[in-house]
Amino acid sequence: MIQLIHVSKSYDRRVVLSDLTLEIGKGEFVLLMGPSGAGKSTLLRMLIGEERPDQGQIFVQGKNVGQLRQSEVPYLRRKIGTVFQEFHLLPKKSVFENVALPLLVQRSSVAEIRRKVMEALRAVDVEHKKDQSPASLSTGEQQRVCIARAIVNGPVVLLADEPTGNLDPERTAEIIELFKLVNARGTTVVVATHDPHVMTLVNRRVMMLIQGVLIPEVQGGDA
Amino acid sequence: MRWLVYLFCEAWTNLRTNRTTTVVAIVTTAFTLTCVGIFVLSYVNLRHAANWLQEDIKVIVYLDDRLPLEAIQELEDTLKADRMVGSLFYISKDQALGEFRAQFPSDSHLLEGLGENPLPASFVVTPAPNYRSLNSVNRWAERVTIMPGVAKVDYNQEWIDALAELIRYIELAAISVGVILSMAGITIIGNTIRLALFARREEVEILRLIGATRTFIRIPYVIEGAVLGVCGSALSLSILKLGFELFRRQIGSVGRFNEIESLVTFLPISGCAAFVGIGMVLGIAGSMVSLRRFGETRG
Repeated sequence: MIQLIHVSKSYDRRVVLSDLTLEIGKGEFVLLMGPSGAGKSTLLRMLIGEERPDQGQIFVQGKNVGQLRQSEVPYLRRKIGTVFQEFHLLPKKSVFENVALPLLVQRSSVAEIRRKVMEALRAVDVEHKKDQSPASLSTGEQQRVCIARAIVNGPVVLLADEPTGNLDPERTAEIIELFKLVNARGTTVVVATHDPHVMTLVNRRVMMLIQGVLIPEVQGGDA
Repeated sequence: MRWLVYLFCEAWTNLRTNRTTTVVAIVTTAFTLTCVGIFVLSYVNLRHAANWLQEDIKVIVYLDDRLPLEAIQELEDTLKADRMVGSLFYISKDQALGEFRAQFPSDSHLLEGLGENPLPASFVVTPAPNYRSLNSVNRWAERVTIMPGVAKVDYNQEWIDALAELIRYIELAAISVGVILSMAGITIIGNTIRLALFARREEVEILRLIGATRTFIRIPYVIEGAVLGVCGSALSLSILKLGFELFRRQIGSVGRFNEIESLVTFLPISGCAAFVGIGMVLGIAGSMVSLRRFGETRG
């Protein structure tokens, strides 16, 4: 599903990723651990075509992301759901409208939008908040809405960058449970975090990234 | 269709959210286009006046004083047979004197001292409708001047030449001012769009991340630019129309300008539509410039 072959990336001679090679299979759940500045976000941004590697190749579902034309990038992103620490919800739109955005972008029909948005909201248990503004929701609920938006069009991969950074341990556990549910439906999930607590919640494959270098894999464990 | 509604709603939201900048952009664009419109109106009216003068053009063929009656008749036949001549009538020396006295009664004593009637006989020629352009009349006058028995050919050439020259200058000024002020219009609308883009940069970012194409992201801003351009040009047309009517009423109140009042004309419907269309194009151009710059910084 995801394959990186000798990928390197630098900003102003500062090496962010160094000769990274890894493979993530279809339906896998992977934790990408590492301290702030380790290169986790850069790696995720490369997977969605936001950044290009200086060296090496990146494949997502068989497509060489580094060689995609700018006009092809949006179509790659429609197959990848993204969740961020800073929620990135539009404050002037309702929960429903926020979640509907990826479907609007794909020019889905009104009926399809209604059906899929309600399904996604049900999956993350915020169906009853659909008409509210994101600002009126708690941080945990806002992150649930973000996850709903990320899964609404049935992505093959879900990338989450510090998704629990703004949440307390209880909400963190709930969000991780949601990711497990999404993964159980067959979606490949990659969660990048610096929080060791998250590792205790996930008994899955863990990749450690330190100063742009991938170190041997460790196994997480359910709390 | 929901996505189309969404794009229009986004454009409307942009316009409403940045209400002050929207109004300022519309008003400044309107005043800018009004300046262009004044030149366009002047040009249209001068062209109109030139056409009217051309329709009314009369060529006077003065005859040699010593020309016998038979030769005059022969010349009249020759001129009548010319396809460039629409109609003509003869004015004898006595008729010319009579007309002079009728038109300038206080100056008629000036001719008394000369003894013999100094005014020549003439043919007053109206060119055929297809040959009333300045070039045609010029060519025809040159040809007739060298005919035997013709002393001089005269027509309001200087006046028409001067008007044609003036029209050329106004046309040039309208184009120059139009280009410069259009640039100003593009900049004004472009800046408004840039402010809208800046205010909604997070939304643009989110749209990019969820797979929106550049076109999808840009359409609301292009619509916004088009709306600003259309509103600005429509307001400008209203200002022009108001100014035009005031001007016409003013010259109508002065008795001797009555004829001019009926001659001055506003832009035709097609011209108004083109004016609004140009406003829309300027608005879209402003949006595109800002979007391009924004796109360069956003990748």
